[in-house]
Amino acid sequence: MKTLHMSVRKVGLGVVSALLATGLSTTTLAADYPSKPIQMIVAFGAGGSTDTMARIFAKYVEEELGQRVVVVNRPGAGGELGWVHLANAAPDGYTIGLINSPVVEVYPFTREESVGYSLDDLRPLANVITDPGMLVVAADSPYQNLDDFVAAVQSDPESIIISHEGVGGDDHLAALNFAAEANVDLNFVAYNGNAEATASLLGGHITAFAGNMSEAVTQIQEGKARGLAIWSEERGEPLPDVPTGREQGYDVLAAASRGFAMPADVPQEIYDLLLEASRNVIDNPEFRAEMERLNMPVDPIYGQDYVDFIDDSHARLKALWEQDPWVEQ
Amino acid sequence: MDVLLLALGNVLTPMALLTLLLGTLAGMTIGSLPGLSSTMGVALCIPITFNMPPDLALILLGAVYVSSVYGGSVTAILLRTPGTDASIATALDGYPLAAAGRGSEALGMATLASLFGGLFSVVVLIAIAPPLSTVALAFGPQEYTVLAIFGLVTIVSVASDRPLKGVLSAAVGLVLATVGLDTFTGMQRFTFGHSELFDGVPLLPVLIGLFSVSQAFNLCVPAGGGVLSGTAQQLRGRRLPAWLDIRRCLRTMLRSSVIGSVVGILPGAGTSIASFISYSEARRHSSTPERFGKGELEGVAASESANNAVTGGTLIPTLTLGIPGNAVTAVFIGGLTIHGMIPGPSLFTQHAETTYTLILSLLLANLLFALVGLWLCRHLVVVTKVPGAVLGPMILVFSVIGTFALRNEIFDVWLALAFGVVGFFMERWRYPAAPLVIALILGPILEVNFRRSMQIAHWDLTTFFTRPLSLGLCLLVVLALAYPLWAQWRRRRHAPT
Repeated sequence: MKTLHMSVRKVGLGVVSALLATGLSTTTLAADYPSKPIQMIVAFGAGGSTDTMARIFAKYVEEELGQRVVVVNRPGAGGELGWVHLANAAPDGYTIGLINSPVVEVYPFTREESVGYSLDDLRPLANVITDPGMLVVAADSPYQNLDDFVAAVQSDPESIIISHEGVGGDDHLAALNFAAEANVDLNFVAYNGNAEATASLLGGHITAFAGNMSEAVTQIQEGKARGLAIWSEERGEPLPDVPTGREQGYDVLAAASRGFAMPADVPQEIYDLLLEASRNVIDNPEFRAEMERLNMPVDPIYGQDYVDFIDDSHARLKALWEQDPWVEQ
Repeated sequence: MDVLLLALGNVLTPMALLTLLLGTLAGMTIGSLPGLSSTMGVALCIPITFNMPPDLALILLGAVYVSSVYGGSVTAILLRTPGTDASIATALDGYPLAAAGRGSEALGMATLASLFGGLFSVVVLIAIAPPLSTVALAFGPQEYTVLAIFGLVTIVSVASDRPLKGVLSAAVGLVLATVGLDTFTGMQRFTFGHSELFDGVPLLPVLIGLFSVSQAFNLCVPAGGGVLSGTAQQLRGRRLPAWLDIRRCLRTMLRSSVIGSVVGILPGAGTSIASFISYSEARRHSSTPERFGKGELEGVAASESANNAVTGGTLIPTLTLGIPGNAVTAVFIGGLTIHGMIPGPSLFTQHAETTYTLILSLLLANLLFALVGLWLCRHLVVVTKVPGAVLGPMILVFSVIGTFALRNEIFDVWLALAFGVVGFFMERWRYPAAPLVIALILGPILEVNFRRSMQIAHWDLTTFFTRPLSLGLCLLVVLALAYPLWAQWRRRRHAPT
């Protein structure tokens, strides 16, 4: 089956390169760009938060470019499948995709043996959303702040159970970072998604929930859950009462970021054009209003700054990994 | 009450009714195509709803949701090609009925049962949603573990006449369920470096392979050697099920609707658990259990009322707690928030009018798909007379397209074709395919929740018996296992010697 699969891929690549060889030089490509619909690869399933953001962004960027933008979902392997497709796409500007930091920069070393893309294959374009990480307990929990929580973990580490949504995901990394700061070991239980983990937290089956602000905001505003900390430099806008980790003396910064990237060899003119279009969408007050309604904090990082942001995060997490890998090899 | 009247006014506008009709027809079509799940149907509608007023948007999403679950029954019965796992149990009895020329009757029963289950769960949603939503929270990992075991016990019913082969098929399913990244450690298990397998062996390609693709092969092979040709020689039986049959199934429909509504509330369970447990319970309570699997209308009624009752059930935690009951309602939450409605108690106070508009439109959508379904029965059933040589290749084409559409991976298509071959031979050698799929669905739920329970309870196995809810479920499992033995013993004792 593998050989068949590979041969189909090879034929596909052959067709693409044959088409490219028919005399379309990059300059003519750039001159009338975009002359056909652009596909936007989303590495997660339809209806998820990444997909929702992508589809709203697509709606606005269509107006900027005067061309259709088609969202294509390529979910699987925690985003890896989609990023493989993005990295291998023709660098002609007709394929862009969403990347989710920090997971996109983590796979190249945590899955070193099998990973199908490298960060060098991708050129980050613009970050749109940064959703800070949080540590959340149920409203009836005895723990009011991080110190309470740490004291409880120190006295009985086994009985304090904390959920995360996937090994090596941003929630898990944030909690590991916090555990290292507090010098404790946390008893993690893995969940497959935020629905089950939230139900388990509110039902009293687990002690705490490591997740993102957008996932916790409703339950906290409804008074069913309490945020012990938010892992950002400043407090979250919809949750002004939840203190940051730093305010409480724990130097933890963690978030899930979502932005756009293109295949690495995309022509500079096209890259600049899309950068400009992205800037206009992100500055559009209507787009901002839609993001606010979805509790998605807009955090624009453009062009080279975004490339550096991904590279820095990659270097930092790789150092952490080499010190203490979080996936069994 | 005032708010209900206002909502009724919203639903009965021409624009709303048109949206409802279009949503229902679209949902039925999506549900009947292999691989196009309710989740995908609703997700595809979300961008369309961006520019619609909230009322219409929710009417569209609701109509697509409930009618797509129903739509799956049509192909499950007529062609034995269930579009999603929700209608596998429907095919168990529906298809033998269709093969015997009684497809129209089976479709009629499926339609009425779907209507019953759908309406039941919406009434539950209107009447007692807030107190019931606590069920979602009461279920911890221990309860999910026992529920998964309960689901596995249904294999006994599904493979009743070939128990050993059923267990073997389930064992293969459980082994396949171990493939993928370990949720707890991130370690790769049997992935052989294929990132396509990191999330486990994908369910729908396996399902489409075992049922649809193998059926396509079957239809292309001339009848003989004990293998069904797949097409009915002539259409017999009634156009709609007899009143007596319907009345006979009412108890089953009621029981299955309760099971479906409760399972729907649980975010960690799934539609197929509800339909298999209902099927198994219907068989257990039947006076003629030996007829199940060979074309028993009650089996169709059990599965279909359960899977449609799940729709209302899943909306209970979604609307009251903001915790989606399944993947479809997770997409719903996205649709709600885009229109400024944050799921939670405020939906029933601040946005009561729109919320009740959604709930009423679910009621209407149920009635609408039932009307369309009952009218279509006698026309659709003609499909079973189409020669296999025509039908087979068509099913194959739809299966390939549907599998690819799941996540745009050619790998999944090869997987479906491979499982098509496996399914073809399993059928020749009389190994039931449903246990494999049940095990593949339940394996990960069982494993993950067992490990969570053990971590929470510090490896104390008594945790499953010291929690009241978990203990109750354990007793149900014992009952489901022991009852057939007891019934057999009693029958033997009363038999004249």
